[in-house]
Order: sequence, then structure tokens, then C-alpha cells
Amino acid sequence: MRELETDVELTPAERDVIDVELAVSGDAQAFERLYRRHVGRIGGLARWLMGQEDVEDVLQEIFIRVWEKLHTFKGQSAFKTWLHRLATNVILRRRSERGTHEERYGGSEYDMARAQTGRATPGLKVDLEAAVGQLPEKAREVFVLHDMAGYKHEEIATMLAISPGTSRSQLHHARMALRQHLDG
Amino acid sequence: MSDSWTDRLSAYLDDELSLADRRAVDEHLAQCEECRAVLSQLAGVRDWAEEYEGEPPREAVWNAISSAVRGDARHGDIVSLQEVRRRRSRMWRVIPAALAATLVLAAVGAGSWTVGRATAPTREILVTANPMRLITTTSPGRSLLVAERYGAAIAQMEQALFANGDQLDTATVRILRQKLIVIDRAIAEARQALADDPGSAYLADHFTNMMRRKLALLRNAASAGVTSS
Repeated sequence: MRELETDVELTPAERDVIDVELAVSGDAQAFERLYRRHVGRIGGLARWLMGQEDVEDVLQEIFIRVWEKLHTFKGQSAFKTWLHRLATNVILRRRSERGTHEERYGGSEYDMARAQTGRATPGLKVDLEAAVGQLPEKAREVFVLHDMAGYKHEEIATMLAISPGTSRSQLHHARMALRQHLDG
Repeated sequence: MSDSWTDRLSAYLDDELSLADRRAVDEHLAQCEECRAVLSQLAGVRDWAEEYEGEPPREAVWNAISSAVRGDARHGDIVSLQEVRRRRSRMWRVIPAALAATLVLAAVGAGSWTVGRATAPTREILVTANPMRLITTTSPGRSLLVAERYGAAIAQMEQALFANGDQLDTATVRILRQKLIVIDRAIAEARQALADDPGSAYLADHFTNMMRRKLALLRNAASAGVTSS
């Protein structure tokens, strides 16, 4: 009998589908793989939407909720999309319970200027990740919700109580500020 | 380059402009190198956001999550039968998919496991047995990687199950062994068929699905051990 050969690698999305299935049937290692594959990105979402405080606590809540809700994932969208939606719901609820976080995480036109010019200022060179944190609050929220979590402007408008036009405008300003920090 | 053009570049990038506006931006981009450069940078930012992986938090976060979802089960282990029993109520709430599979598999006669190259795949049964989306592939190599992943889980599950065989009643063990014989034969046939025709995506999918069914059978046996106690 000839040996079976494998010459391709699974995509991250395919690995997610398999691990979700295994985790739903009780495989704790599969759940851990899902956690490790996604926790860094979800941590970024949490940090940029609600500030550094409570990030670890909210990550725990998110992934415990993922474990409890995993059986409801039907594969109609990518697992990453499903996870982002779940995580965003938890983060925004937590943020709402906590009240305004303006004072916890900056948000001013000064911040936009700082996000735009940080790279060019000697001694203040920041990378793209740090620059996201320096964006004004609304621009940062719209950027994270649209470009990272995959929400549409109409959805973001509802979530943040702004107009879709404002959401589009804030996204553009955020991208324009962040482009300064691209490598190369 | 002017603000009136750059202001439209994000919407252009996200394909949100009207056809007329898009054509206007296309025409402008054709003659404006600066705007092309800005557009490229905006796309770079969007791609960075799409691919951003971030840094993992402290290991204590996973330890807390692991403890919460698995009680005091050892880190990284397949949940043992004893552990499953201790957390019975939680497990039954968390894995209704396994419950559904138990019912369906109970209704499937042992003979239906037997497969051959001329036999149509029992895809409907598999879909019912597991509500998750089936992985359908066009590449045999990709399917085999999927099968390998199931193989590792099967080996761990078999080891855990039979190490705790005394937890299962004799009737369950007898049925389990009969079904394992049948499905192992089906897996061997599927493997042989694939080895004879390694380029067949159909056979690769079929082989993978047999592995999935064996894993489902083992998981259901573990659940049966819980309910019989």
C-alpha cells in the first residue's frame, strides 16, 4: 500500500473549523488552540475599545462565553467573524456598565496630531500599533470596529450613536493618520 | 493631490462609492501619483488591521479560563470520564451537539458504517450527526491534514476511554467494540481506496469523514458512560 502524502497546509480558517468542532465535542486542547490563535487580536480589540484597565478580566469573560456559546456557531461565517462579534458585544457591554471612559483613554484633536506625527518626531517614533492607541477616541473606535472587527458603517453608527457619514469620515481620518506609520 | 480627492479614497478602497464617483476617482488616480501613493498606504493600513495578531496576555489569563471551563481538570488534557461525571450538568448544557449525535448514531445501524468506493457517502447522516459545517475540500492533501488532526484526537480519546473502561457498563462496551470494528474496517477501506487513487478529492473527503465518525462514536461512548453511572 502506498503511503499517503500531504503537501499542503490548512488555512487558519480551516484550522478554526476543525478545532471548533473538536472543542464542541469536549476536546479541551482544541479550545486552547482556538484561544491561543485569537487571544492576541481580541486583546487588541479590548484594549483599544475600553482601555488597558480590565483587559485581562474581559478576555476571561469573552473566552468563557465562547466556550459556552461555541455550539451555536454554525459555520455560516468565518469563526473569526463570529468571535469578533461576540467579543465586541462583551466589550461594549462592559464599557457601558463602566460608564464613560474618556478620562481613561485619551481622545482629542491633539491625539490625532500626535498619531499623525509621532513617527516623524525624533525620539517619539511609534509603530502602527502604538499609533492606534493614540488616535482620538471616536476615530479609534470606528477604525477598530470597521477594519478589525468587520462591522459596517451602519452598524457602527448604531453602536456608537453617530451617523454613518460620521463613521465613514472618522475611519478615513484614522487611516490617514495611521498611514504615516507604515513600514517602508 | 487635494483633500477633495483624498477624502474619497477610503470609500473608494472599501468599494462604497457610486459608479459615477468611482469612475471619477479612477480617472484622477490615473494621472495623480500622489493619490495613488496615498491609496496604497490606506490599503496597507487596512491590511495591517486585517492581519493584526497582537500579543498574548499573561498565561494566568488562560489558566483562569481553563479552570472556569474545565473545573479542576489537568491543563491540556482531554477531559477524563471521572471529570466528565463531576461536571455532568455543565457538559450536557455545553455540548448539545454531542447529544444530537448520540441520538442519530443510535439510529444508524452498524451496517451503515460499511463503505466502499462504489458506495455513496452518507453525507446527510453526517450533517445531522454534527451540526457544524462539514469541511469540504478540493485538495486530497488538505483533506488528509484534516484527517490527521482527527486521528490525533481519536488516539487520545481511545486512550482515555479504555483506560477508564470500568466506568462503562458491559452492554455499552459490547456495542462500542462492535461499532469500532465496523468503522475501523471502513476507515481501512477508505485509506486503501485513497492510496490507490491519491488524487481523488472525493476519496480524501470520504476518508476524513470516516475519521470524524469514529471520533463522534468515541465521544458518544464517553457520554454514555456518564449517563449510565
